[in-house]
Amino acid sequence: MKFVDEFRDAQLGRVLAGEIVATVEPGRHYKVMEVCGGHTHTIYKYGVDDLLPENVELVHGPGCPVCVIPMGRVDDAIAVAKEEGVIFTCFGDMMRVPGGEETLLDAKAGGADVRMVYSPLDALRIARQNPDRDVVFFAIGFETTAPSTALTLMRAKAEGIANFFCFCNHVTIVPPLRALLESPDLRLDGFIGPGHVSTVVGARPFEFIPADYGKPIVISGFEPLDLLQAVYMVLRQLSDGRCEVENQYKRVVPYDGNPQALKVLAEVFELRPHFEWRGLGFISHSGLKLSDAYRDFDAELRYSVPGVRVADPKACQCGEVLKGVIKPWECKVFGTACTPERPIGTCMVSSEGACAAYYNYGRFARERQVV
Amino acid sequence: MSTATDCGSDHCITCSDEGVPMRVLEAQLDGIAVCADSEGARSEVLMDLVGAVEPGAAVLVHAGVALTLLEPEVPA
Repeated sequence: MKFVDEFRDAQLGRVLAGEIVATVEPGRHYKVMEVCGGHTHTIYKYGVDDLLPENVELVHGPGCPVCVIPMGRVDDAIAVAKEEGVIFTCFGDMMRVPGGEETLLDAKAGGADVRMVYSPLDALRIARQNPDRDVVFFAIGFETTAPSTALTLMRAKAEGIANFFCFCNHVTIVPPLRALLESPDLRLDGFIGPGHVSTVVGARPFEFIPADYGKPIVISGFEPLDLLQAVYMVLRQLSDGRCEVENQYKRVVPYDGNPQALKVLAEVFELRPHFEWRGLGFISHSGLKLSDAYRDFDAELRYSVPGVRVADPKACQCGEVLKGVIKPWECKVFGTACTPERPIGTCMVSSEGACAAYYNYGRFARERQVV
Repeated sequence: MSTATDCGSDHCITCSDEGVPMRVLEAQLDGIAVCADSEGARSEVLMDLVGAVEPGAAVLVHAGVALTLLEPEVPA
């Protein structure tokens, strides 16, 4: 298919890899964070990191929407799912994320009506088909999925559907990046910016990274050549002594984003004062809730949720993985007690999670072969 | 439950937080279009954010919503 095949060309990949080798300074170690979990998935599926010189390290960021959900919010979701008469809908990955004591899948096995959907529109369809029951959608994700939730709620409102509710856990990408840049744990040289989030918000919101922190960022697509080119562009900026926002994914990302999407987000959502992120703690103005105009659809107002903060299991090091402080295989339970079949931490659940990407594509090796 | 290794395509079928290039097959009323991905799998997609589109147009779809048009003339 066009827009896919040409970005997986092996010969072009070799050329780009050669350019990267020619650009890096021998003896200098480069740490580049790919923010988005989709990028992490591509890197390990296609072995992009094997084409990089040994001194270029890719660090995996907090951009997997499933991975950053704290356990307390999963418990809240399970509490709503167990309410009498509720049909609880969510993306498939969320069903396997462990809460304090169980997963949504366990709750389903115990009798709760939990259903997997592919989009919030599917959940709205279930609400139309079941007018005598409350249908709750577990909304997660960054600015990429938030427009889908927003448009669905606008349709529900326009149709006067009174049995559809949203348990909103949408988050925004800029605050956690600022938190990471402020973190003393991590010394990064540059960023590969999230491609599909930028389709909505544009490249402009990332200007603070070069302006305030002096680091380059390159917005990237999701095919293997996109990522190789983005790595090259970051290294090129470092080599030239530049730091700016560059857009490798121009075929999809307009510099100012999608104004219509930003408009619907502004209508349906408003920022929470603070929101908890797994591994990063509470971050101000980083989460979305429904605006007053949509309060009738807010599951948190319809039902009382426990709202209890639950500490991660001691053995789980998802927090350090999400901050890029350790690699997945450095976690004590990686691939042993924690596997995609029986995950302890969120990073092992979603295919976009760094741990699942390492596990599924056989990246257990401590050492990387030099090419 | 599927894991990434089960997927024939380049994204996990259980995860909707993934942008998928799709081709518009049929524009319907109410801002919805029937689209197909590179494997031929069809689904209904909301077109509210990209406006009216003709059959044959390529769009980037995220969680059931077309986020943007993919323009053939624009190089990477």
